[in-house]
Amino acid sequence: MKMKTLTVNAIIAALYVAVSLAIPALAFGNLQFRIAEMFNHLIVFNKRYFFGIVAGVFITNLFSPLGIYDLTFGVAHSVISLGVVLLIIPRLKSETHKMIVTAVVFTLTTFIIAYELVLVYALPFYLTWLTVGAGELIVMLIGIPIIKALGKRLNLATLLN
Amino acid sequence: MLEKMIFGRYIPGDSIVHRIDARAKLVFVFLFIAIVFLANNWITYGLLIAFTLTIVAVSGIRFYFIVSGLKPVLFLLVFTFLLHTFFTKEGTVLLDLGFTEIYTGGVIQGIFIAIRFFVLVVMTTILTLTTTPISITDALELLLNPLKKIKLPVHELALMMSISLRFIPTLMDETDKIMKAQMARGSDMTTGPFKERMKAVVPLLIPLFVSAFKRAEDLATAMEVRGYKGGEGRTRYRQLDWNLRDTVAILLLVVFAVGLFLLRS
Repeated sequence: MKMKTLTVNAIIAALYVAVSLAIPALAFGNLQFRIAEMFNHLIVFNKRYFFGIVAGVFITNLFSPLGIYDLTFGVAHSVISLGVVLLIIPRLKSETHKMIVTAVVFTLTTFIIAYELVLVYALPFYLTWLTVGAGELIVMLIGIPIIKALGKRLNLATLLN
Repeated sequence: MLEKMIFGRYIPGDSIVHRIDARAKLVFVFLFIAIVFLANNWITYGLLIAFTLTIVAVSGIRFYFIVSGLKPVLFLLVFTFLLHTFFTKEGTVLLDLGFTEIYTGGVIQGIFIAIRFFVLVVMTTILTLTTTPISITDALELLLNPLKKIKLPVHELALMMSISLRFIPTLMDETDKIMKAQMARGSDMTTGPFKERMKAVVPLLIPLFVSAFKRAEDLATAMEVRGYKGGEGRTRYRQLDWNLRDTVAILLLVVFAVGLFLLRS
């Protein structure tokens, strides 16, 4: 692994955690969602952001009350979703389309998180999937214009080289 | 900013729980999570509580901190309890509310789930309260070492994690600073229509990313000019060592699991 890839990913992970922990002031209404989830869109620019995103999820969940549960399922959710996204997006051309695919994939795979909650709290599966998925979809869709705006100022694709 | 870091809050101490090897603690908590599901009657759930409270007592951490770990999930706990109380139709009718009836089975089920949840949260809270994030990372690296065989860059990932942990407080301060700087320029992230608030995120994220990437670049250059090379032959600053007490801790848990298995109905 290149040194720059390593440090940029480390910083992305740190940003993920910092934004997750520092912006609860931006909790919009009752739906509690993670603004940092929009960083998942970075995968569209370069597949090597994979490690940073996963590490960010990992560290954030290290601080979560459900601890190792969230750690295992949260990381599994990110790894699987990113994997699926990486299989689909090379076929697409437009950046926006790629991001929409990312949003949809991450939303659908929240069944993993829903399953975790079912295991721990024995909640009804479909209802949990719906609420968790809705939160994820909203953040990811809002994330599209934001990350695109970011992409205009920074050369996200080549920063890792 | 610092008070928000209340999660991941390591509390220094010298109890036996603090001194147990981070690897042992990780394995312990992983096994414990599986073991919790063995309990299915009053005796086994009672034992789970007793076991957890014993560990709390031994760890020497004030109960206040444990309770503060439960606060963010209290709502979910109550919600689940009520859900089970109202929707499990087993046993005899305990209370007739007219529109619905509460059964004894439902209340018992609710209590059991609540206990399971309580012990899980307390146990993982103890792990993070008695182990620094950096030693959890180290422990994971060592536990995942066998995966190097399938070409997983375990060492690099662990290094990435350590760098990340070091930069979290820095970047949180930075986020705070940029938020305040933009607010001073009239940006409003807490009131106004939803769309406006979302727009206000952009002037926050861009400077944050620019400065963060600059740090990453400086760090990469610094490491390269010093000829950093990980992996083979590299010694460690923080050493983990596995002692007898670590083996004993794991064995105690196994004995406990066997006990639960025998007592479950």
